[in-house]
Amino acid sequence: MFSTIYLIKRTVETVRLLFVLFITALSTAAIAQQSDTEQAVSTETESTPEQGADAQDEQQNALPAVYSPDEWLVRLAQANRHRNFEVSYVLTRPGQEVIPYLWRHAVLDDGTEVEQLNLQNGPGQEMIRIDNIVSVFEPDVQPYSIYATAIAGPVPADLLYKPSKLSEGYQFITIGRTRVSGRAAQQIRIVSRDNNRYNYQLWLDEETGMLLKLNMVDLQGTLLEQVQVTGVNLTETPPPYFNKINPEALPMAVAMTPQSRRHEWDVRFLPLGMHEVKRETRRLALTGQVVEYKLFSDGLVDVSVYVQPAQDSLDSDVLLRNSTNTFLSLTNGQVQITVIGKIPPATAYEIAHSLSASGANG
Amino acid sequence: MTQQHEKLSAFMDGELNEAEFIDSVKNDSELQAKWRSYHVIRSGLRKEATVMPEFDITARVAAALENEATVLAPKSKWRAIPGVNKIVPFMRQSGQFAVAASVAAAVILGVQQMNQPVPTEPFTTFQTTGTPQAGLAPVSLEQSQTLRNNNDTEALLEKRRQINALLADHEQQLKLKRAEEQSEQTAEDNPNQP
Repeated sequence: MFSTIYLIKRTVETVRLLFVLFITALSTAAIAQQSDTEQAVSTETESTPEQGADAQDEQQNALPAVYSPDEWLVRLAQANRHRNFEVSYVLTRPGQEVIPYLWRHAVLDDGTEVEQLNLQNGPGQEMIRIDNIVSVFEPDVQPYSIYATAIAGPVPADLLYKPSKLSEGYQFITIGRTRVSGRAAQQIRIVSRDNNRYNYQLWLDEETGMLLKLNMVDLQGTLLEQVQVTGVNLTETPPPYFNKINPEALPMAVAMTPQSRRHEWDVRFLPLGMHEVKRETRRLALTGQVVEYKLFSDGLVDVSVYVQPAQDSLDSDVLLRNSTNTFLSLTNGQVQITVIGKIPPATAYEIAHSLSASGANG
Repeated sequence: MTQQHEKLSAFMDGELNEAEFIDSVKNDSELQAKWRSYHVIRSGLRKEATVMPEFDITARVAAALENEATVLAPKSKWRAIPGVNKIVPFMRQSGQFAVAASVAAAVILGVQQMNQPVPTEPFTTFQTTGTPQAGLAPVSLEQSQTLRNNNDTEALLEKRRQINALLADHEQQLKLKRAEEQSEQTAEDNPNQP
């Protein structure tokens, strides 16, 4: 008799205990779920800050006119084409030394556009552009001149001069205002449309539209490369430096006529907006190996694809990162395929694997 | 029966002279046993018993064993130990606690499991197996490998050289990229220009 009472008592106790614990568990789970949804909500609001920021901008500062991201880039291009300026900036890559550059630009009285980019450390590198002729002075190489409308510097030329070329592969989003290099700046994100390339963050001077900062970040948001302007000197008259240049003393421009070669292969996969710029067959300068070569570009990023016979190849697959370049080399049967460019390894891998033989449209 | 015992006691003391009592003792095994035990008691009281008389309990033990119910696993008697009585309910309760706690944990885990966000990006890292980095060379303890190791470093250098050649070429192409676009345009503009 006693034992049955004891048993009933115990069972009741256990049930009560279980119930209490169950309720606590349920409530904690519910709280967790709630906080999850809260997080989701907050990330949603975060993911669309550009609109909010835009609206805020429109309300708060009517003084500098509110531009769309495309208009900002047009302003940048116009400033780079028509202003007289001296800009010093540094190029930074994580774990590497800072590389300082001096960049001058002017439109002379006779309408000639002149530009200079000087690497300031070490033996240096000097590039001078007079209209469409770029003269390059480098250590260990004979000075030479080529026809080009822009200097190939650390900042992609299409971003500086022809932003419309980028819109196929990238999306521009204004983020908001910040302060960079002591000036009020507009932040713009440049996001690849297909997530196959690195993304960029761009800061432009609100007043002049000139470049103040450019970050290249990988898909996880880690900084890969940064151009940071450290000083801007805008002048009415051209910088006196350009008076010293004697165009007669510069090397003669060499016309390079690209010769399209017939290739027996094709790249089937390319990131959105990336197109073939050139193809050729030639020897590598350092080793003398014969390679078939294609260059692809989307305006911000250039990707080289090399195909060479496998017998004088690396005999093993290689994936490495040389500063910001991804280097991927695969041996695929008879040929070695190498992809180089500022793209994520996964994209390089996909490009390399998309190669296929094609006699038809080579 | 007690009368018989008294008679027996008196007979032992020599106070009873009934010849027929002897016969009744002869016929009664119980009285015989009593007789024996009385003698044992008497000698014990007089401190005469040097040797234990046939104080036979084997029969009784055997009988007890016969009557005993067969118990295969005797019940543990640890609850009889003092103090354990207080611990046992506590243990039992904590056992219930443990059960309840594990149920609660299971519920929490289950809810969390069910509320977990679905992974949206299945491919986050690049599969690098099968594509060893440059600079990794097979290592062996065999002595005959020394020569080949030399070859390996040579091969490694050669590999580096090739990689550098490709990288340098890539950089060079980027510099010239614009030039060719431009000179193509120029050539189109002025066909006479070389």
